[in-house]
Amino acid sequence: MRLLLGILDRVRPIFEDGGKLRPMKPVFDATENFFYAPSARTQNAPHIRDPLDLKRFMSMVIIGLAPCVVAAFYFFGLRMLAMIVVSYAAGGAVEMLFAVVRKEEINEGFLVTGLIFPLILPPGLPLWIVAVGVAFGVLVGKEIFGGTGRNPFNPALVGRCFLVLGYPGVMSATYIVPGSGPLGRLTEYVGVEAMTRATPLAEAKQGVVAPIADLFWGNVTGSAGETAAIAIIVGGVFLVLTRVANWRTVAGIIGSFTVLGLVLHYARPDDFAPVGWHLLAGGLLFGAFFMATDPVTSPITNGGKWAYAVIIGAATLLIRNLTGYVEGMMFAILLGNIAAPVLDDVAVRLRLRRLQHEG
Amino acid sequence: MKPRGGYNIRVAGRPAGAVEALPEPDTLYLPLRSRRFNFSEICVKDGERCGPGHAIAKDPENYFVPLLAPRAGTVRLDAVEGHIVLEDVAKLPEETYHPDDDLPHVPKDLGSSGMKRYKLLALGAWQFLHDAHTNALPDPFDTPSAVIASTIRLEPFLARGDVQVRKRLVNFTRGLEHLQALLEYQPIHLILPEVDSDLASRVRDTLRGHAWVNITYVPLRYPFDNFALLARGLGLKYDANSPVWAINSEGILAMDRALTMSHPCTVRLISLGGPAVDEPKHLKAMPGYPIRAIIDPRTSSESIRVLNGGGLTGDTVLEDQLGLDAECTGLTVLPEHTEREFLGFVRPGSDRRSYSRCFLSTLRAPAAERLTTALKGERRPCVSCNFCEEVCPAGIMPHLIHKLLYQDELEQAELTRIDLCVECGLCSFVCPSKIDLRREFIDGKQLIQEELHSEEVEA
Ligand code: SF4
Ligand code: SF4
Repeated sequence: MRLLLGILDRVRPIFEDGGKLRPMKPVFDATENFFYAPSARTQNAPHIRDPLDLKRFMSMVIIGLAPCVVAAFYFFGLRMLAMIVVSYAAGGAVEMLFAVVRKEEINEGFLVTGLIFPLILPPGLPLWIVAVGVAFGVLVGKEIFGGTGRNPFNPALVGRCFLVLGYPGVMSATYIVPGSGPLGRLTEYVGVEAMTRATPLAEAKQGVVAPIADLFWGNVTGSAGETAAIAIIVGGVFLVLTRVANWRTVAGIIGSFTVLGLVLHYARPDDFAPVGWHLLAGGLLFGAFFMATDPVTSPITNGGKWAYAVIIGAATLLIRNLTGYVEGMMFAILLGNIAAPVLDDVAVRLRLRRLQHEG
Repeated sequence: MKPRGGYNIRVAGRPAGAVEALPEPDTLYLPLRSRRFNFSEICVKDGERCGPGHAIAKDPENYFVPLLAPRAGTVRLDAVEGHIVLEDVAKLPEETYHPDDDLPHVPKDLGSSGMKRYKLLALGAWQFLHDAHTNALPDPFDTPSAVIASTIRLEPFLARGDVQVRKRLVNFTRGLEHLQALLEYQPIHLILPEVDSDLASRVRDTLRGHAWVNITYVPLRYPFDNFALLARGLGLKYDANSPVWAINSEGILAMDRALTMSHPCTVRLISLGGPAVDEPKHLKAMPGYPIRAIIDPRTSSESIRVLNGGGLTGDTVLEDQLGLDAECTGLTVLPEHTEREFLGFVRPGSDRRSYSRCFLSTLRAPAAERLTTALKGERRPCVSCNFCEEVCPAGIMPHLIHKLLYQDELEQAELTRIDLCVECGLCSFVCPSKIDLRREFIDGKQLIQEELHSEEVEA
């Protein structure tokens, strides 16, 4: 592996000041530091630092997503690979372009967005729409606000929201029927020509209720990575245990969703399906574990997190059951993102009032 | 006491309890500056032969606290920039103290408590006192509202307070009594570790019957030994007119030495620790002792960084500082970061110690890691992970203050209580985006003083 470092050392001057490819330095840096831990040393006290960096932080999310990716491959076939590649390529191009123009580093946050995005799309979506969606999400959801860390909205959700509003027909007609058997669709590459079918949440509005077991194991139509509750729970619990996802957000969403669901189900059982079913259906779990927990777009204070989570849980249930939309998670999280700064502001004020009398 | 935040970093290189006396030096290089002091008033002439315990310089800004010659020697004033050099150093029997030395700034009618304070100052014991809130040297002729006497030091790695108290419990108790004699009725808060060590119970037994000592137990978690945090935890508010004094066990022992034996306090116990030290231990050293002569024989690493102080708040010892300064409590030696790990971020990391739980080591019993000066990542924008707030012992929100300072919102930063920051460095340590929060806050506080409060000082 010394060899690779040698090559990098040799080409480095081209990207340094005065080199031919100076503007591409962010790309070179990202490549170099991807392979080799950065050479930077501390300049100030503290002279020692914790080994956690953003790369590691983000790779934890990728590991957490792995079970969902496997499930998506099993149920929807090799097409998933194409979608992931397209998502990374198109989103990465936008990210790179902005890094070069802004002369800033390329940020690891994109590694997560690029993988999450295909997982929340219908598995039969034409690839060019995937590309448009992720480019829009990264551009509008993140870059115009100044890049990772400054974006108020989750970029993947902004991309999906754009597609839902811009291409509603394609978005609802590309839910491929999942594969089954020992290999599922693992050996197939199928697009919309395979059978498509409405998602359980859409069918439930017509009175067709999918069995809970199918929702649990993922043997239903739905967004690529959102169908298998078991995979989401396994990966999500991993994220919570590593403290990359905050347990308060997850517990708050699932808790408020359950409580409100129970109350409404008993008050009006005809309009509201049992809460256990709702918990496993659609994007609720995926959103709770992987999207709402994005630290950048959720409130930073613990109090704010609870309020944010309750808003998302309750809003999802209400949107699902009281509006024309069948799935509420996406709008609920975006709503939560909007509310986040306000919630934080309140929590910070309360906190400062307590600090006032110190010292 | 139930403090918040805090975190114990496990770094290899913790000094053992053993104490080694350094060989007698030939030449001493006494720096004219240390963290708090600037000994700008030189009291000796070039070529003069001075005796041990002689005041060779004083700090006029700090109640003329003296820089004492630890040994007899011949003074060289211009040999090394920023230092007084003592050549042909010899260990002579210490002269005892002569109270008739003239000190113009001392009030005439001192009384007995005043005489003691004067003696403490002249014999180099006063410099162990701190204002708990501001860390400055307290006015020797002030009356404090309370005194904090701490036996714990928690930063990796500073001289542990218990090392000395263990051997000299009698002197320690006597030092506390001397301290009490300076006060009228104000309480002394003695800080002991929460763990039930045999030392703690011995101290407790010895002090039974000393009603003026309030014992407070503190968990052994960095940085709960910080004086400002202790004062806040004890509910002692800042009041410029009646400050809270704070002193470590080393200072208590120095008080005993100065007041019981009338000997100057020149030899200090310092720690020598850190991953690059072959055998971390405590050293008996004196100010001016050549730093290279301490480090070089005790490390086998090629490329090192020497810190004056601990790994979290210490400053790099620069090339132009030759000897230990008057306030040094320890030297920490870190290996410089040179190795670049291949695909480091995907390794399971069973040998990494991290505040987060993102490494496999989470599943193992805690072990100390050989940390280097590596930044361990690249500088990134804040991702609001909240780790800094979790560890902050001051209960403030470092990420928020960081954003406010970044936007130049000094007033807001002040309202967000940047002044409560005790500069422990834990926030910078844990930040995955490698933001130099501690540095920003030190600069920010200074900027706030200059921009928002400069008129107050003039008025
Ligand atoms: S803000 Fe200050 S007190 Fe809090 S962790 Fe950082 S350096 Fe320590
Ligand atoms: S630790 Fe760093 S990245 Fe995390 S919230 Fe604090 S400043 Fe932001």
